[in-house]
Amino acid sequence: MSKPIFELVDELPTKNLTISMLRSLDFVAPGEWQNVVGFVNTIKHVTGEEDEDLIQAIGERAIYLYNDRSQGYQRGMWLYQTVDSTDKMLGAAALANKVGEKIPLFGFFSNITPKADKAQTIDLCLKLVAELLAFCSINGIPGDSIGDFVASLGEYSGESLMRMVALVCVDGLIPLGPDFINNALLWLDRASPQELEQNSTFSKIQDAIPGQDSASKLGFIGESFSSVTGWMGHLVSSRNLTPKTVVQNLQSFMEFSDDKLDYLAAFIDVSTNYYEHTGTQTLARRLIERAVAEI
Amino acid sequence: MRFPRARRILAALLLCVLLFTTACQPKTPGRFDQVQQESTKQKTGLAVAKDATQGGEVNKFFPANQAGYERVYTQEKKGFAEAKLKKDGKELAMLAISDTKSTPTAAAKFKTSTKKIAGYPAVEVGKTQTAILVDNRYQVKILSRDPSFTASDREQWLQKFNLKGLAQLD
Repeated sequence: MSKPIFELVDELPTKNLTISMLRSLDFVAPGEWQNVVGFVNTIKHVTGEEDEDLIQAIGERAIYLYNDRSQGYQRGMWLYQTVDSTDKMLGAAALANKVGEKIPLFGFFSNITPKADKAQTIDLCLKLVAELLAFCSINGIPGDSIGDFVASLGEYSGESLMRMVALVCVDGLIPLGPDFINNALLWLDRASPQELEQNSTFSKIQDAIPGQDSASKLGFIGESFSSVTGWMGHLVSSRNLTPKTVVQNLQSFMEFSDDKLDYLAAFIDVSTNYYEHTGTQTLARRLIERAVAEI
Repeated sequence: MRFPRARRILAALLLCVLLFTTACQPKTPGRFDQVQQESTKQKTGLAVAKDATQGGEVNKFFPANQAGYERVYTQEKKGFAEAKLKKDGKELAMLAISDTKSTPTAAAKFKTSTKKIAGYPAVEVGKTQTAILVDNRYQVKILSRDPSFTASDREQWLQKFNLKGLAQLD
C-alpha cells in the first residue's frame, strides 16, 4: 500500500540538497516558495485556521479524498515521484553530511556521467508532460485539455511556480544552453518513437500519456511542449535568465567551474528530487483546499 | 558518595523500569491513523458518492466576472468545483460548491443554523469561512484568503452565485 498522505507531507525535509538548490533559485521568483512541511502545519498555512477540531476535520477529509483512488490524487503523486526517481545513483543520504558547507563538484566526477543532449531533451519534455498530467489528475481537468493547462500556468504560484522555474533552470538552461526551447522543438520534430522508447523515464510513465502507441504519445509530448514554449520563453526573457545567471546563484551552495555545466546538470539530476518535493507540497495544498471547502 | 544499599537497588530498579518503558512502548497512534485505516477499506468510492453531481455541471452557477474582480477556476472534480476570486492580481477568497451527497456531516451542520443568507440556512465555520446549503444538498462556501475580505464580504458574494439555478439542478 502506498504511504499515507500525512506521512508523505510530515516527512518532507527542511534541509538537504533539493532545498538548497530551490532556495538558490529564489532570485527568479523572489519569495514565491516557502518550504512548508508537515501535514497539520500545511493545513494551518493553507487555510489560516487554528482551531484543533477544525484542523482535525480538514485533515480527515483530505485523507479520505487522497485514499479514494477514483479521485486521481494518488496518480498525481505517483507522476511527481516517478519522473524524479529515475537514475538516482548518488543517494541524497550520502550527501546529507555535506549540507551546510559548499559541495565541491569535482569530488563526484568519477561517479557521474553527463547525459547526451538528446537524453536531456527527452527528460525535459517528459517532466513537462508529467506536470500537465499531474495537474489534470489533481485538479480534474481532462487529461487532453492542453489549453486549460496553459491558461492555468499563468496562475502558477508558490511551490508550483518554483517547480517550473527549477525545470527551466536546471533541466533546460544549465544542460542545454540558452537555446534549449528551440533545440527541444527541433528534436521533437525529428524524433522517432524508437528513440523515445529507449528512455527509462518514458518507459515508466508511458501508460499515463494519452495515445495508443509511442508515435501518438510522441505527438502528445510535442503538442504539450510547444504549447508552453511561450510561457517558458517569457520566463527566460522577463527575468533575463541565462546559464550564467543561474550558475552564479547555484554557486551559493556548490563549488564548480563554469566549463563543467554538463556535469553540474547530471549531479543535480541524481542528487535532488525537486519534482517530488514541490509536487507533494502542491498536491497537499490542493487536497486541503478542497477538504476545507467540503466539510 | 555512599548510598544505603536499599536505595542503590531502588535506583537501579527505577532505571530499569524507565529504560524498559521508554524502549518497548508501542508507538502511540497518531491523530490521523484511525481515519487512514477507515478510508483504505475500499480502493474507491469512500470519499465521493457515486451519484454526486459532476463539478463541471455547477461551474455555471458561480458569480460572473465583475468589474475589477477576476474569477479563475481552480478545481473541477466529481461533487466539487472551486474558483479563486482575485482583485488586482491579489487572491481574496476561494469560492466553492460541493455536493453534500458525499459529505452528510457537512449538510448536518446547517440543521442548527439560525441565520439565513438569500433565504438559505447559513453557518460560519472557523475564522475564514461562510457557507449556505442550497436545496438541502449543495453547499456553497466562501473562504477568505486575505484579511481584507471580511465575513460581510463573504455574505455579499454568496448572494452573487446563481443560487436559484443551483437549487433547480437535479
